[in-house]
Amino acid sequence: MINCEFDRRQFLKWTGASVAAAVATQLSMETLANAASASPLAAKTPILVLVTLYGGNDGLNMVVPFTDPVYKSVRSNIALPSSQLLPISGSLAFNSSMPSINTLFHHRKVAIVQGVSYPNPNLSHFSSMAIWQSASLTGLNSGWIGRWLDQQPHSPFNAIGVGSTLPPAFVGNQTVASMVDVGGMQLPWGSVSAVLPRLGATSRSDVALEAAAATSIHDLYSTATRIGPHIPKSPSGSWIGQQLALVAALINANVPTRVWEVNLSSFDTHTGEVGDQNALLAEVDTAIGDFMTKIGAGSRSHDVTLMVYSEFGRRVQSNASDGTDHGTSAPVLLIGNRVKGGLYGEQPPLKHLDPNGNLKVTTDFRSVYGGLLHDVLATPVNDIIPSWKNALSVH
Amino acid sequence: MGATPTYEERLATARLLHRFNFGPTPGQYANLLEHGLAATQAAVLVHGRDDPELDAIGPLVLADLGYFPSGNSPAKSNAFWNRIQKDSSDLVMWWLDRMVAARYPLTERMTWFWHGHWATSISSVTYPLTMKKQNNTLRFHALGNFMDMAREMVVDGALNVWLNNNENYVQAPNENLAREFMELMTIGVNHYTQDDVAAAALALTGYSTVQSNGRVTFNPKEHFSVPLGLLGSTGVFDADSFAKLVVSKSDNVQFIADRLWFRFVSGSTVPPAALTQSFEKRDIASLVSALVYSPAWTDPANTLVKSPVEWFVGACRALKVRPSSLNASDTQWLLSQMGQLPFNPPNVGGWTYGTAWLSGVAYQYRFELAQNIVAKGDFAPLAVQPLNMIQACADWLGVPQWSSRTANALTLSLATPSELALAAILSPEYMVSI
Repeated sequence: MINCEFDRRQFLKWTGASVAAAVATQLSMETLANAASASPLAAKTPILVLVTLYGGNDGLNMVVPFTDPVYKSVRSNIALPSSQLLPISGSLAFNSSMPSINTLFHHRKVAIVQGVSYPNPNLSHFSSMAIWQSASLTGLNSGWIGRWLDQQPHSPFNAIGVGSTLPPAFVGNQTVASMVDVGGMQLPWGSVSAVLPRLGATSRSDVALEAAAATSIHDLYSTATRIGPHIPKSPSGSWIGQQLALVAALINANVPTRVWEVNLSSFDTHTGEVGDQNALLAEVDTAIGDFMTKIGAGSRSHDVTLMVYSEFGRRVQSNASDGTDHGTSAPVLLIGNRVKGGLYGEQPPLKHLDPNGNLKVTTDFRSVYGGLLHDVLATPVNDIIPSWKNALSVH
Repeated sequence: MGATPTYEERLATARLLHRFNFGPTPGQYANLLEHGLAATQAAVLVHGRDDPELDAIGPLVLADLGYFPSGNSPAKSNAFWNRIQKDSSDLVMWWLDRMVAARYPLTERMTWFWHGHWATSISSVTYPLTMKKQNNTLRFHALGNFMDMAREMVVDGALNVWLNNNENYVQAPNENLAREFMELMTIGVNHYTQDDVAAAALALTGYSTVQSNGRVTFNPKEHFSVPLGLLGSTGVFDADSFAKLVVSKSDNVQFIADRLWFRFVSGSTVPPAALTQSFEKRDIASLVSALVYSPAWTDPANTLVKSPVEWFVGACRALKVRPSSLNASDTQWLLSQMGQLPFNPPNVGGWTYGTAWLSGVAYQYRFELAQNIVAKGDFAPLAVQPLNMIQACADWLGVPQWSSRTANALTLSLATPSELALAAILSPEYMVSI
């Protein structure tokens, strides 16, 4: 059943339009480096890093209820064999593509919140992600971090997204987050190189999009010329690894940023799931393992909490294409040296599904946000999520 | 006529040319400004005429490359993949050439819109011939009737492979095509239930696609031929009756009108209610005409960022450069680094939008691509007195007005027309359609 009040306007907005409407500041690395030295983040300020997995990550093949006979029977073509499992309890095991997170779990630095989604899940990628990012079932047009930004003393550094596309969660009613890009830079060459930097200044007559275009030019020059010692010289490894390496470097450089976002796509595994998802989870795992090592070597080791989430989990029963269709609840991972590791919430039973053959929802995602707002961002929950009070604390 | 065009006229004329015709050819913008907005509206809508420029390019004939070579001969396997790569490159360059060369570009422009709408990627379809067939279908219906287009697309081989309908069985349905067909291609989210998705998936069983040539066959024995409830109707459905039912829903009218508005007019405003009237009969040309004649073009809010392909094609049209005269692999690599290689949309939701195209990282690739275009470019429109060069450049490229920033920067290049052209197509004013 669809019980979601997103109308077509929200659909338009959340498929990218809101990001364009509210033009993000693109921060140059130069500006970031200056900010880090001029106004470093106060010691012990908690930092949140959102890791968004787009496409609908299959929770049941990430944290596997491996002793449940139903798992093997309804997923005969994609059930992971015991050789591909890393048990963490009598009934649950990590996918063996996740050795670093498994190690962190055994060091009690990973909280697994089970059965997370929202009431009456809508199986659409786009509206599910909109609900997660807005923390609203009724179509608020602002993101949850965006509304938090609205309440902060204004600074372009409060929240920063990595990559080229700003996540809707970072768009507030008055404020939007900033963006930074990963990647090696090569400056334009030839005689025109005396002209192009001048095109990077914003002009009083610019409309917002022209100003954004000019800022992108400025950003190329400032990034390439003044990138500073903080930025990984030649990003290597996976895309998610490059993003998290950049975030780790900037956190260690004391950039005054409280919330970061990185993301990875392609979790929509309708076919050939095992190979594809394992490869993606391995990238995420390596990236997070490296991130925690880098953070561990700096002064922010106990300040950082990561949240790994996706718009939905997948159907319990696999399909004939060795994949899974869209589903509902899935685990959310919260990772950090200050996190009290372990299992939270209740694993939805494989035997008692909703009428569409999907997992029931045992934890409302807003409770997870509630805990993060309270413990990490020191903000009353219902200031950000109207009429919501529950907070699941893992700190 | 004769009076100096107002800023609003310059703005509206530039928007129409860039958004519906991939930008002006040399002299076209100034010429249309002399004849007034109505002349521009009529000009950008011309389609269905014989186009000598496209005739000169000719058809692209691709062979059916058949199955992957069997056995483990590396030589055969390499030859196969080399051929796939060559055909794929030829296909991209052929289409880019058409966009650039067209005397009446609306059909190519609409084909480009529909490619993003029915966003299918060669990354999983693999075979260029199969993608080319879909491209032909989209071009054939580009300004035709959406009902006809949808009925043909639901059994399009490339779309069926891309959305896993080859793996959709009665015993184990795969919902991918059923859901995305309704959500992203015809009626939009929340206008159907999960039960409708499950029923639609069953309606779409029994079809199989030959991946190498896109031929779709129907096997009634594999089809779910039991009556089922779908979007409030009950009956035995197949792909065609499913497509007809969905497109006949009134939600389809609003959905398609919204999608065109989003890509041609603005992502931050919504279309006037009256726009949908032009699409009641699912006639795409009527809807496009209603958009072109809408008052949107003088509203300052309706700004867009040109996508990388739109920017590239526009620059090639102005500088009279055929994409196929450039190094094909460099061109395609640079477009893909900017995030938009034709036939390779990132996901079934289609291309991204707006400021996502504007990053410092993308600008370095934009610079390289611009350099390659300018190296083959024709700068005749800049052969004027130095005092008039910067205005001539705006009139040439279809820029309503330079900012003082850009005008001042361009004065550094007055002695070198190629450098002036390069800086101009790399300016903020040319990267967006304000």
